[in-house]
Amino acid sequence: MTDLTPITALGTAEAPSVAFGPLTVAEDARLGLASLALRRGADVPEPMGLKLPGPGDCVAGAGVGAFWTGPGQWMLEAPGRAEEDFAAEVARNAPGCSVTEQTDGWAAFDIVSDAGAAPVDALLERLVNLPPASLLPGKATRTVLEHLGVFVIRRAGDRLTVLGMRSAAGSLWHALTVAAKRREDAG
Amino acid sequence: MAEPDHRDRGCPVGRDEERWGWPDMRFSGFRLVAEALRGHSGWKPLWRDPAPQPAYDVVIVGGGHGMATAYYLAKTFGQARIAVLDKGWVGGGNIGRNTTIIRSNYLLPGNEPFYELSMTLWEGLEQELNFNAMVSQRGVLNLCHTDGQRDSFRRRGNAMRLAGADAKLLEADEVRAMAPFLNFDNARFPIKGGLLQGRGGTARHDAVAWGYARGADVAGVDIIQNCEVTGFDIDNGRVTGVQTTRGPIRANTVGVAVAGNSGRVMGLAGMRLPIESHVLQAFVTEGLKPAIPGVITYGAGHFYISQSDKGGLVFGGDIDGYNSYAQRGNLPTVEDVVEGGMALMPMIGRARLLRSWGGVMDMSMDGSPIIDATPVEGLYLNAGWCYGGFKATPASGYCFAHLLATGRPHEVAAAYRLDRFARGHVIDERGAGAQPNLH
Amino acid sequence: MLIPHPLLGPRDAQEFTYLGDARLLERPDPAAENAEARFCDYVYLRDNPAGVHRELWFHEHGDRSWLVVTRDTVTHEILGAELAADVKGAGA
Ligand SMILES: Cc1cc2nc3c(=O)[nH]c(=O)nc-3n(C[C@H](O)[C@H](O)[C@H](O)COP(=O)(O)OP(=O)(O)OC[C@H]3O[C@@H](n4cnc5c(N)ncnc54)[C@H](O)[C@@H]3O)c2cc1C
Repeated sequence: MTDLTPITALGTAEAPSVAFGPLTVAEDARLGLASLALRRGADVPEPMGLKLPGPGDCVAGAGVGAFWTGPGQWMLEAPGRAEEDFAAEVARNAPGCSVTEQTDGWAAFDIVSDAGAAPVDALLERLVNLPPASLLPGKATRTVLEHLGVFVIRRAGDRLTVLGMRSAAGSLWHALTVAAKRREDAG
Repeated sequence: MAEPDHRDRGCPVGRDEERWGWPDMRFSGFRLVAEALRGHSGWKPLWRDPAPQPAYDVVIVGGGHGMATAYYLAKTFGQARIAVLDKGWVGGGNIGRNTTIIRSNYLLPGNEPFYELSMTLWEGLEQELNFNAMVSQRGVLNLCHTDGQRDSFRRRGNAMRLAGADAKLLEADEVRAMAPFLNFDNARFPIKGGLLQGRGGTARHDAVAWGYARGADVAGVDIIQNCEVTGFDIDNGRVTGVQTTRGPIRANTVGVAVAGNSGRVMGLAGMRLPIESHVLQAFVTEGLKPAIPGVITYGAGHFYISQSDKGGLVFGGDIDGYNSYAQRGNLPTVEDVVEGGMALMPMIGRARLLRSWGGVMDMSMDGSPIIDATPVEGLYLNAGWCYGGFKATPASGYCFAHLLATGRPHEVAAAYRLDRFARGHVIDERGAGAQPNLH
Repeated sequence: MLIPHPLLGPRDAQEFTYLGDARLLERPDPAAENAEARFCDYVYLRDNPAGVHRELWFHEHGDRSWLVVTRDTVTHEILGAELAADVKGAGA
């Protein structure tokens, strides 16, 4: 069989990680993703014990997480499991729902602060045009960032994940790192 | 019965008229020198400001295309007792708000002969009106960025030439020779060539409004400003006059040419139109030395630019995209337009924006205009010009006058029927369907 | 313009795409006798009011909901927003 070498969304062998003062921007090449949508009139399932969040929110459970993407729709996340068939597991745990594998459609970038929430808040002001209330810890939302459609997931005060379309990973990386650099330069 | 001389009412008209065959305000080099010598004390207003009369044969609502209509109606079609009513002032509508581009580079047979007639009228306009409208045939260059786009330009160029217009397909190096400052090697949208209409260009929009107004006034038309039409008098399906903020005015024939207000005005006659009103913005930078040779349009985004004789870069892009009567737009569109400019010619980033403004336009369901009779007898409609009706001003006025005078559409405007949507004969240059904000 | 999304709070109009008059929700019955004439009106004719306008906006860069936004076309003031699914469900 052909010897295939996996690469990250940015085209490198190892996921890059760059520090800008207290903020570190890194690609997470190992995030497994699957979307879940309710059929009309169906009850909301609790896949893998996850209580699916309401509009604008995200939750983290044991080894899996989820965020709301639209009425009756969620994205489920499985850190470290990009190589597995995560969608199949979700489908087994959410009978009657529409589940679609999403891992390969997205590029995920984590932004972590070692100085608390303030640098993340300051970065978000530069990145997206949203009221601060929709970016508090536990919030997740889809919006526009430099003309790119993205999900912004505020996992905690000092942690943020941005998901963007994989084919535009380089543009998104550029946008995030330039903003982080400018925030650093501005002090 | 002798026609009343409307020109004796309102403000006085110079008696030079007999001498020149024109009134006081004929322009010439000699006149300019003479006025310079007497301290410019002899210039008079370009048109009278009469009070509305109780009745006219023809009332035209709207002083943009409407003024051109009145001019040709009186001058070419020999009609008398004509009034143009405008709720604002002459030149205050889109005729004075546009980016002044004139061209006849359309594709479809319903459009191209009409716009080519307009182009030939532009070419003779200043002589016709004895007014310097600064018609400048500096060329309109549409850039292409893909092979598919070049193919479609070739098709369009051929369609133009079949209708008697000029068109030239340029290779990238020919474009480079004309406009070396463009971003030819943009990684996403490299410039592959362009379609040039050398006879296209710009005209000074205000002067066009004023020139037609002066010409119409001289031909006996009453220009009544600050006179808003607030209703139509309709008797047994026939129009008998209009209600206005300056009182009722009777008329046998009423022509409506109110650009972005067509829906609102025709609503007064109980009609719903295949039109939405949208806002388009325009921008001008501070004056710069000559930098941009003609009109250049970006084929990968929506951006068009020219340089006025005063030096300002005049540019625009997409409409804002939602129904609006506000005559002003919002910032996201400003950003979008200037991003288009930066992508096309990065040097524009050094220019400072001086002014921006918005105009409300009729966006029609197929992107093409309407010049037609309506279900109300005697009531005619000229509407749906979208963001491209300035170039149409001469032909629109001429063809609307033809319709008002003869009751029949002019042959080059025969496709601009109101019922073409119901009949399935839309004229959709963009192929966007019944979605006005996409045309 | 800020659109008050019923689920997500205020969102910039840039996140949305615009379709037009909310009467587009009232699709004619194709089996009706005068269906052709009614479809022609439905597809092509608009009230196009100067003033309060109920219109469809799609939250494309958001949760992909269709909203019915009530907006003044003269001032651009946004007076309210509802989920189109609720409006349609209520038979309005
Ligand atoms: C920003 C911008 C840029 C443009 N750029 C170009 C371009 O580069 N090239 C091009 O070809 N076209 C361009 N256009 C389009 C062009 O300007 C219009 O299509 C065209 O001018 C419309 O016709 P008009 O001149 O009759 O409109 P207007 O000049 O607007 O005339 C309509 C008149 O009707 C009057 N009116 C309205 N309601 C009433 C009422 N109830 N009673 C009495 N009077 C009333 C208004 O006051 C107005 O004066 C542009 C438009 C805009 C807004």
